[in-house]
Amino acid sequence: MGLRIIIAYLIMGGAILFAVITAVGLIRFPDVYTRIHASAVVLTISAVLLSIGVAIYVWQFYLSIKILLVGLIFLITNPLATHAIARASYRRKIAIPQVKSIDEYSGYLSRDQE
Amino acid sequence: MRRKIATFTIILIVWIILTGKITMDILIVGIIVSLITTFLYSDLLFRKSNRKKSWIYHLKQLFYIILFIPVFFYEAFIAALKVSRHVFEKEPSFTPGIIKVKTKLTNVTALTILANLITLTPGTLTLDFDMRERAFFIHWIDVTTLQQAEARKETIERFENWLEVIFQ
Repeated sequence: MGLRIIIAYLIMGGAILFAVITAVGLIRFPDVYTRIHASAVVLTISAVLLSIGVAIYVWQFYLSIKILLVGLIFLITNPLATHAIARASYRRKIAIPQVKSIDEYSGYLSRDQE
Repeated sequence: MRRKIATFTIILIVWIILTGKITMDILIVGIIVSLITTFLYSDLLFRKSNRKKSWIYHLKQLFYIILFIPVFFYEAFIAALKVSRHVFEKEPSFTPGIIKVKTKLTNVTALTILANLITLTPGTLTLDFDMRERAFFIHWIDVTTLQQAEARKETIERFENWLEVIFQ
């Protein structure tokens, strides 16, 4: 139980904390888009912290690099999926935002149809 | 040709990381697989650039990218704390909305990376890009201002300046 293990556990604990926050936010937030914002927390912060923590915990060169590569692939693929879900659910009118203060996107879409 | 060499090197490095050790037979198989992949798909990883740049320019680019990584994670962490604050409020008191933010970048790669960075940051989400007016449509969880300049400053300017330096 060295100092390295303790640091790894601390980093992984922070990741778990953010994951719990995400789960609570997914239940509490009102509509699709705000829930996507809640899930972005787990996608960026939690995944990266967890992969760094596991890489420190394992502490072998090739294994650690491999785990960091997995974290990098998370970072590359997540915004694509998030953006695709949000855009499709707006354009196909699956879920129009319920809670909104301003909506400049609908004007852009109707301009295209003219 | 330079594109092919760069693609081949990256694929071979990933292969060596994934296998986990360097011996002669692993290297031979890796080189064969990387060569096949490079000749089939080398135009997917890097775009063809029409200007020749010196090696010093690319080294400087790499240096700025490495500097940018901790800055991005700091910004993302602060934004995550802001979103987490809304989770624990008794009545979630946010004002979500979709705003239109003009950008000054012109490079296609820089625009793509900027859109991905906006989506990765908790609290902002790219919905679409208007080619005619060069503007992002951003769903923002906390619309504090409707002024174009201030909204731009709050959402994208912190990444835009970095990307302008990297891809100028």
